[in-house]
Amino acid sequence: MLNDFISQVGPSTVGGLASGAIYALIALGYTMVYGVLRLINFAHSEIFMIGSFAALFVINLMGITGPLSGIALVGTMLLLLLASMAASGGAAVVLERVAYRPLRRRGASRLAALISAIGASIFLQELFALVIIPEVFDRPSQGRNQVPVPRLFDRETVFSIGNTDIRNDHLFIIVAAVVMMVLLDVFVNRTRIGRGIRATSQDPETAVLMGVNIDSIIRTTFLVGGAMAGVAALLYAMEFENLRFNVGFLLGVKAFTAAVLGGIGNLRGALLGGLMLGLIENWGSIFFGSEWKDVIAFSVLVLVLLFRPTGILGESLQRARA
Amino acid sequence: MLLEIKDIHVHYGKIEALKGVSLEVDEGEIVTLIGANGAGKTTTLKTISGLRGLSSGSVFFDGKDISRLPGHKRVLVGIGQSPEGRGVFPGMTVTENLLMGAYARRGDFSKDLAEVFELFPRLAERKDQAGGTMSGGEQQMVAIGRALMSKPKVLLLDEPSMGLAPMLVAQIFSIIKEINARGTTVLLVEQNAQQALQLAHRAYVLETGRVVKSAPAADLLDDPQVREAYLGGALGQH
Ligand SMILES: Nc1ncnc2c1ncn2[C@@H]1O[C@H](COP(=O)(O)OP(=O)(O)O)[C@@H](O)[C@H]1O
Ligand SMILES: [Mg+2]
Repeated sequence: MLNDFISQVGPSTVGGLASGAIYALIALGYTMVYGVLRLINFAHSEIFMIGSFAALFVINLMGITGPLSGIALVGTMLLLLLASMAASGGAAVVLERVAYRPLRRRGASRLAALISAIGASIFLQELFALVIIPEVFDRPSQGRNQVPVPRLFDRETVFSIGNTDIRNDHLFIIVAAVVMMVLLDVFVNRTRIGRGIRATSQDPETAVLMGVNIDSIIRTTFLVGGAMAGVAALLYAMEFENLRFNVGFLLGVKAFTAAVLGGIGNLRGALLGGLMLGLIENWGSIFFGSEWKDVIAFSVLVLVLLFRPTGILGESLQRARA
Repeated sequence: MLLEIKDIHVHYGKIEALKGVSLEVDEGEIVTLIGANGAGKTTTLKTISGLRGLSSGSVFFDGKDISRLPGHKRVLVGIGQSPEGRGVFPGMTVTENLLMGAYARRGDFSKDLAEVFELFPRLAERKDQAGGTMSGGEQQMVAIGRALMSKPKVLLLDEPSMGLAPMLVAQIFSIIKEINARGTTVLLVEQNAQQALQLAHRAYVLETGRVVKSAPAADLLDDPQVREAYLGGALGQH
C-alpha cells in the first residue's frame, strides 16, 4: 500500500493540480457572484457547459480533426480561448438579465432566486440535449450521448521530476489557470471597477453613496466569472475530449465545493480550495481506487463544513487583501 | 436654496415612515435635523441621497428636481453622505476607503487625499490599516473624510456622534464646524440635540415622520418643549 502510494504520488499530484486548476477557475464564478449578491448561481455549471460547446463549435468550424503544432496550434488555442470565454461570459450576462435581475427588481427573496437558478440550469441542459447537440453538432437522437472532441495537440513529456513525468497538457492547464488567476486578482484589487466590486460585496448601500452603479457591477461580475468558467471549459474539453449536455453538473458541484472549502466569497480561497480538492481526490484515489473519487470529494466538503463553516480562508471578497 | 425637500412621503412596505416632510438648506449653512429614535431622520437622508424612493413630493438640489435621479448619480451632482453606522468598507484600507469617496470622479486625487489627512491626522497615521479594525471614532473620521473626497456641495451626516466618548464627539463636531467654514454646506442628523443645536445655524425637529418645529438653532435651545423632549428637561446653562 505504502509502496503504491510512493510510486503513484508524483503523477497523481500533477493530475490533481490539473483537475484542481479547472475546479478553481469554475469556483471563481461561484465565489464572485456570491460576493456581490449573496446568491449561489446554480446555473454557473451550465455557463461552463456552454463555453465547452462553443470551443467545440469553433474546432468543427475550422475543420480540425487531428493534432496541431507550431504557430497553427498557438493561433487556434487563442481563438478557442476567445470563443469559449465570450460564450460563457455572454451567457452569464444574459442569465443575470433574464433569471435574476427581474426578481431583484421586485425584491424577491434569495430563495426565489435560487429556484430561478435551478430552473435556468435545467432549461439550458435540456436545450442542449434536445436542440443544440442534435442540430448544431449533428447528432440526431443522440443529444444525451457524449460528443467527442478531437485531440488538439500531441501529448508529450516536457520534463521529469524524479520518476514523475510532467506532460505538456497538464503543464498548459496549470499555467493557463494561474495566469488567469493573477490577472483576475490584479483586476479586482488594482482597478477602479475592481474596487467597485469589492465595495459592493462589503456594503452595497454605502457603495451606491460612493457613486457605484450596482447593476453594472453585478453585470461585470457575471461577465468576468463567466469568462473564467469559459477558460476552464476550453481546458476541460482539451484534456478530457468528451462533452455532454450535463458535463457541467458534477464539475459545477465540485467547483462549488472548492469555493466553500476555500471560503466562499474569497478569490484566493477559490484557488486554494480548487487545488486542494484536486489533490485530495487524486491522492485519495491511490488508497481507495478512483471509483471513490467523488465520495472523497464530498466527504471533504462535509468535514470542512463541520470544523470550519466559513472555509479555510474565511468568507468574502472583503478580505481579498486584508 | 441649495437643497429643498417638498412634502415628501416615503414608505417601507405599507408603513409610512415620512408623512409629508419639507425642509430647506441654504448654501453655507449648517442645518440640523433632530428627533427621537424612529422619527424618520435616517429615512430623510436616504431619500435625499437616493437610497429610498419617494411615494410623493420632490427633492430639489441646486435648482434641479432630482427626485427620480438614481442613487449612484447623486454623488455627481454634489451630495456626499456619511451614513448611519459609518458604512466603512471593512476589508479596505483607510486610503482605499477614502478613494472610494472619489469613485465617481476622474483625475488625480492626491491633493484631495492630502487635504483629508490634514483634517484628520489620525487617518494619515493609519492609512494602511483595514477599515474594519479601526475604532468607532476613527471609522467616523473615515466616513466623513470619504464623503469629502467626492467634493460635495452638501455633506449629509447621519448621527456622527453615535457611540462615541464625549471627548471624541467634541472633536468630531469641531471638525464639522471647520468643514463648514471651508465652504461645505452641512445637513446634520443627530439625537445628541444639545451639541447639534449649539453647532447649527438652523434646526428642524422631526417626530414620527413629520416636522413639528423649525427655527434658528439658538431659539430651540431655549424652547421649553424642546428642552423637555430632547435636552433632558431641566433648564440649565448651556
Ligand atoms: N428597512 C426598514 N424596513 C421597515 N421599516 C423601517 C426600515 N427602516 C426604517 N424603518 C421605519 O421607519 C421609521 C423611521 O426610521 P428611521 O428613518 O431609521 O428613523 P431615525 O433615523 O430617526 O431613527 C421607523 O418607524 C422605522 O421603524
Ligand atoms: Mg437613524
